[in-house]
Amino acid sequence: MQLHINKWFKYLAITVVGLGILSSCNKDLPLAEPIKQPEPTGSSIMETLNDPNYSFLKAAITRASSVPSATGSLSTLLADKSAVFTFFAPDDNAFRTTFALLGLPPAIGTINFFRPGELDTVLKYHLIGGEKFTSAKITPVPPALNLYLQSSFVLSPPSATLPPGLRMPVFLGKQGPVLFANNIPIVQPDIAVANGIIHKVFVLLLPPSQVLWQRIAADPDMSYLLAAVLRADEGDPAKTLESALKNPAANLTVFAPTNLAFQQLLTGQITVALIPIVTQQLIPVITQQLIAGGATQAEADAQAPALAAAQAPAIAQAQASGLASTPAVFTNPALASVLTAQTVKGIVVYHILGNRAFSVNLPPATANYPTLLNGAIATHPGVGLQATLGATGVTAATVKGAANPTASNVIINPTPAPGGSSDQHYINGVLHKIDQVLRPQ
Amino acid sequence: MKKNCRSMLLVLLVANLIAMSAFAQSVTITGLVRNSITKNPVPSVSVVPRGSSIGTYTDEKGEFKISVEILPIQLFFSSIGYEMQEVTISNGEVETIVDFVPASSLGQEVVVSASRFAERILESPVSIERVSASTIRLAPSSSYYDIVSVLKGVDVVASSLTFKTPTTRGFSGSGSTRFNQIVDGMDNQAPGLNFSLGSVIGLTELDVESMELLPGASSVLYGPGGMNGTLIINSKDPFRYQGLSFQIKTGMMHTDSRERNISPYYNWSLRWGQKVSEKFAFKIGSELIQAQDWLADDYRNYKRLGTQGTIVPGTRETDPNYDGVNVYGDETSIDLKTRVLDAIGVQVPFWQSYISSLPASIPVSRTGYTENEVVNPNTLNFKFSGALHYKLTKKMEVILAGHLGSGNTVYTGSQRYSLKELKMAQYKLEIRSPNWFVRGYTTQENAGQSHNLTITSQLFNEEWKPSPTWYQQYGFAYINAKMAGRPDLEAHNIARGVADQGRPVSGTSQFRNIFDAVRSKPIPQGGKFLDRTDLYLAEGQYNLTSAIKVFEVIVGGSWKQYVLNSEGTLFADKVGEPIKINELGAYAQVGKEIIKNFLKLTAAGRYDKNENFEGRFTPRLTALVKLATDHNVRLSFQTAYRFPSTQQQWIDLNAGSGRLLGANIFLWNKYDLINNPGYNPSNLSERIPYKEVKPEAVTSFEVGYKSLIAKTVLIDAYTYFGTYEDFLTRRDVIQFPGGTPSTTFKGYSIVVNSPEKVKTNGWGGSIEWRLPANFIVSANVSSDKIRNVPTGFRAFFATPELRTVFSFANMGFGKEKLLGFNVNWRWQEGFFYENDFAQGDLPAFHTVDAAITLRRPKIRSLVKLGATNMLNQYYRTAVGNPSIGGLYYLSFAYNVL
Repeated sequence: MQLHINKWFKYLAITVVGLGILSSCNKDLPLAEPIKQPEPTGSSIMETLNDPNYSFLKAAITRASSVPSATGSLSTLLADKSAVFTFFAPDDNAFRTTFALLGLPPAIGTINFFRPGELDTVLKYHLIGGEKFTSAKITPVPPALNLYLQSSFVLSPPSATLPPGLRMPVFLGKQGPVLFANNIPIVQPDIAVANGIIHKVFVLLLPPSQVLWQRIAADPDMSYLLAAVLRADEGDPAKTLESALKNPAANLTVFAPTNLAFQQLLTGQITVALIPIVTQQLIPVITQQLIAGGATQAEADAQAPALAAAQAPAIAQAQASGLASTPAVFTNPALASVLTAQTVKGIVVYHILGNRAFSVNLPPATANYPTLLNGAIATHPGVGLQATLGATGVTAATVKGAANPTASNVIINPTPAPGGSSDQHYINGVLHKIDQVLRPQ
Repeated sequence: MKKNCRSMLLVLLVANLIAMSAFAQSVTITGLVRNSITKNPVPSVSVVPRGSSIGTYTDEKGEFKISVEILPIQLFFSSIGYEMQEVTISNGEVETIVDFVPASSLGQEVVVSASRFAERILESPVSIERVSASTIRLAPSSSYYDIVSVLKGVDVVASSLTFKTPTTRGFSGSGSTRFNQIVDGMDNQAPGLNFSLGSVIGLTELDVESMELLPGASSVLYGPGGMNGTLIINSKDPFRYQGLSFQIKTGMMHTDSRERNISPYYNWSLRWGQKVSEKFAFKIGSELIQAQDWLADDYRNYKRLGTQGTIVPGTRETDPNYDGVNVYGDETSIDLKTRVLDAIGVQVPFWQSYISSLPASIPVSRTGYTENEVVNPNTLNFKFSGALHYKLTKKMEVILAGHLGSGNTVYTGSQRYSLKELKMAQYKLEIRSPNWFVRGYTTQENAGQSHNLTITSQLFNEEWKPSPTWYQQYGFAYINAKMAGRPDLEAHNIARGVADQGRPVSGTSQFRNIFDAVRSKPIPQGGKFLDRTDLYLAEGQYNLTSAIKVFEVIVGGSWKQYVLNSEGTLFADKVGEPIKINELGAYAQVGKEIIKNFLKLTAAGRYDKNENFEGRFTPRLTALVKLATDHNVRLSFQTAYRFPSTQQQWIDLNAGSGRLLGANIFLWNKYDLINNPGYNPSNLSERIPYKEVKPEAVTSFEVGYKSLIAKTVLIDAYTYFGTYEDFLTRRDVIQFPGGTPSTTFKGYSIVVNSPEKVKTNGWGGSIEWRLPANFIVSANVSSDKIRNVPTGFRAFFATPELRTVFSFANMGFGKEKLLGFNVNWRWQEGFFYENDFAQGDLPAFHTVDAAITLRRPKIRSLVKLGATNMLNQYYRTAVGNPSIGGLYYLSFAYNVL
């Protein structure tokens, strides 16, 4: 009996041990499973630049990276395959063209003319972080004419005038099949690399160094515009317009009428205003002259108005021309009731768009876009914009005010200041000189 | 009906009081009952004079004393596990020594709960399982409550070390409302919180006399709620079980330091029962459990889709919208793009184009805290109980009893809840005689400092840094990081680091101060749920069999009143104006042995009326066919139902993401959902009008077979089929202010009956084999399945299709048969676990519990060295519940033999 039990016990013990071993098979609680991020494939931007066509750029990046940068070494950033960038890459031809435009020798050695910090700044202006802005993604939301993006060129630490996060903006636009960075054509878009996308640009994107106000204040051909802005801000302690034109975080397009355009408009407007005054002033004088010449009082009274009316325009125009010959016309007490601050402000803001439009961004057929005036008069039709894009760039562009009989021409000359008159790029906007003052009504 | 019941009970009470008479014996007999083999004293042996139903019991030393009128007299000695003996006493002056002969009790245990009649378990007309005090003593479980888990067909969901919810026949889950737990006649469901508190309150281990488990529908005898089964726990009678007994159990947990550092486990219990006189006895008991709880550490990513959800890949580092199962506070999630970045774009025009180019939706969640960071691991459970028993007559006894429980534990409902300083008390007054009883009891609930971990953690985050600020900082940092060239995910992580700067670290005084402040405020301002809901219940039963003689007849009735008192923080009550819900019920059962020793039929029916719902009648028919001696077939047709729980009727709780509403029409009117019905959030063409909610019901057919072979092998098998209808469930609706869809809306979760009918079926079998030399081998296997579940419908079946238990034990080996051992191996199949809190695949698991016992009869003590989950292979019983590891303990119990 005891033997029997021992046998049983043995079998059962084996069974229990077996089951025990089985129980060791309990599955551990699964760990949270990380979402696998796709591994970057292909070359990094930096590796892509080993192409001999990018020897200038490679050299520039190397030089730029030779000194420490608060925003990171450019060569390290571009070599980081885990990063994401949109990079506007100028090839050697682009460098040569740029150097030529700047009057510099079109050779790789010219790069050494620039300090590493300058190169770091310029090249980071070619870099947008965090997103791949392929051509398919360039779909501006109207009324914007392009994508208002932030480059990796950080303007400076936050301050009273520079909001946090402000970087030098760069604008991506599309006109038909052609992409533009600012007003620079992209000659080869959408080159996919491990850490982003490369757009090959025609020339270097040179970051602006001034704000709109500096150009307006310094350009002798815009002294009327300057005076108009100052007049518009009279009585406004915030100096709203001046502040906006000085604000580096603003994003504006200024259609700047030349002095001549202002003079023409003002002369005409003042003349019209003066004619009835001059006419009234002339009637007694002419009456006396007619009596002195033998006419009876009755005859003189009958003929003088017509004669005064005939002579008055010329006199009024002469007077008006004198008055409008200086920007001080806006502060002339005699015209204070005509050129009120509000009236002038209305005219000035009608020349400013609340976004940045390079000439290449303007539509091929006239289309209306709101101006800052729409901030006050929401239903105003705005201005009509149009540009003609040729093989070498914009050949003609117009802006039409609602009350102008004809469209004003953008004076095409995209060269840098002081000679340039179109696509003048500033930190806070772009400026195009035009040959008429735009009349909102 | 209510009036009639009360009148009947009053008449019964008065009649029995009149029948009171004094005891009048004159000769006192003393004696000792001892084991014929070991010569050890045998306590709690019934000693009854011939011709009488009133006797006494041996005390803890095996001694007895009984007064009789004349000598000689025959005394009957009986106790489970021993052969009954009859001894003639002729001389009262000589101490009587009775050598009690152990006998096999297999299949002979008497159960009451199956029919409310005392009957051999072998002859029960429905499936029933019984656990005796001796089983509890020798079981390898660390707590008597855990023994239920090895019974056939039982699923136990462990929310924490001390909070376990048993269920049978499917629909498992923490705090199942389809399974009744009745302790000494009192339902131990928390009346406001709607979960049975199980071992948190109730009897202390030393006071448990037996547990009877009725799998399947059992509303007929035990009232609404017992749709899937009823567990009945009975305490020890102080007249019978006397003396001081105590148990010191000390153990260790977390031995591998995987979840926490190795920590001690304490379970100390004490019981003192005293028969002061032949009329009066009392008992008191207390139990203290203290340990470092198991840890719910499922940090997998959970994607919530309305009321449903799924586990998806993702970690805090790889998913900005990560929402860990056991991570709290990260449920706060918004669409960063539309709610924050677009607004930043307006504020910062030079970012607008960049922001516009980002994806249309960027969901981001706040950073949460893991469960071990927000829950005090120290679980504590303190129980105190006491009872006064007074015999008004030889046959009539009045009992005044009270159970108090308090402690800290963690519970899983629709969220995880830290039950802190939870208190629940039950007080009972009962008068009983062999043929009838009348009892009234109350359950007094106090949620203490209990709080919802999700809501508390979400509001903790808001208190530390409001979401508008946090997300604003996140948004700016995210854009800046991206503009610096960082890839999207890294930009998110950088942004989170920026927004989380200064985030309180768990365990610091800063964290505790904020957390304690938040959890102390009632929902929705904080995470605390105020609840002092009470239940009052009166019931009575009369066994008319002796009067009618032709049939076995039982009649009974009950009245129940819930008093919902949450001061408006949980229910729609107001301060000083609790909501009352009344229920009345009555039942009757008729049994008759139609063919002697062959066929017995029983019919029962119960009618219940809740004031907020139409009345329900539930019938039950059973048949017991005795094929041969100890070979019985049982057949039953049973029905059961449950009224919506108190929360399903009256909850009015802003849960952050929406408002939980009860089914009462008052609440529909309060939120104008009748005039302006809500919409289906997934289909705005569907509106959800008011529809009166019906009780949920089940109909079940069962066939079983039980047989005892050669007095050594007990076999039991069953199969059943059930049909459920009018499932009580919740659905989300959104209500628009003007009645038509717009961008502003309010979210509600409402109670509805699901139109789907689902069917369940299952089977089970067990064998217990008593081998020579006290060896016992037993095994059981059971299966539950659900069918006809429509696609997309969540039935919350949450039950393994197959489970099995294998046990091997010896009740006495060694030279003096004082050593014993017991090994249980338990396995359940993996399945898809459905629950409100979390759902997902729950893997199969095995676990081994084992214990070695050493009896010390001279000091009536038992030493036990045991382990639950001996191999320390962690397993979980529900998704989102803690991983349970090994618990190793050594216990010494005095006066338990």
